[in-house]
Amino acid sequence: MISKIINMADRMKDAEDRLLESMFAAAPIADDGFSARVVGKVRRRLWLRRLALPVAALIGGAIAIKPLAALVTLIASLSMLVPQELLGTLTDFIPQAQTVVLGALLLAVCLLGMRMLED
Amino acid sequence: MHATEDNQLVARAVSAQDTRAFGELVRRHQSQVRNFLRKLSGDVTLADDLSQDCFMHAWDKLSTFSGRGSFIGWLLKVAYTTFLQSRRKSKRYAEILEQAGHATEIEDRNHSVQADEVTDLDKLLAVLTEEERAIMVMSYACGLSHREIGDATSLPVGTVKSVIFRGKQKIRTSFDIKDHKHG
Repeated sequence: MISKIINMADRMKDAEDRLLESMFAAAPIADDGFSARVVGKVRRRLWLRRLALPVAALIGGAIAIKPLAALVTLIASLSMLVPQELLGTLTDFIPQAQTVVLGALLLAVCLLGMRMLED
Repeated sequence: MHATEDNQLVARAVSAQDTRAFGELVRRHQSQVRNFLRKLSGDVTLADDLSQDCFMHAWDKLSTFSGRGSFIGWLLKVAYTTFLQSRRKSKRYAEILEQAGHATEIEDRNHSVQADEVTDLDKLLAVLTEEERAIMVMSYACGLSHREIGDATSLPVGTVKSVIFRGKQKIRTSFDIKDHKHG
């Protein structure tokens, strides 16, 4: 008897659920260019992101070129203050010191470039 | 089968930034997302705007989809969050307008919503709170499981069940749903 009541209650619940499902059901909405609009927006955003870094680097470079030139001149004038013996000693210890410094700088630039490309 | 294909498309979209794969995902699920937001907001234009925002957020957060649940479940979570964010924004906007003394503008907007065609389902949804409406729509219109609804709304499964129970009770007491002939 109890199981019959439980079964009836379950059936009633299922019927109510089915009724609610039919009431909530809606006809599928046609795409009508919706997905194309979304994909277009996504593509525009991707392009903006890809362009943002090189454009920022260009603008930054253009702004920084004058102070950088001044800095290079300052460093060059400071290097004149370093005793020539000290520079000679360094070259004596590591004959390829200039090549090593240049190589390290090139490596750093390459790594930065790779990082930018990956981004 | 469908879920596996969804997961493959997500993987392609994330790993290769493949917009065509993402476009396919949008084509597959736009109807459900737009229907969900239409029922939730009661405004077709707003719902479509929110759907676009939802898919843009989905693109940004696609890498966070773990693939454990269904993709539509995850997407509806994004849609629900987008809806709640827009609600908060419009509430703030209404408060600012009210403070500035533009009460007529708010009244006009409310009036235009009331003037729209009201369906049986709209009347039914009107007796529910925002949370109840979202959960009932996810359950009965989108066919999500209680667990998926729990994930989408950040609520425990027990709470989801009790919200559905409460929603059904409200509908039962407000309407004689046996009289309803069709969907």
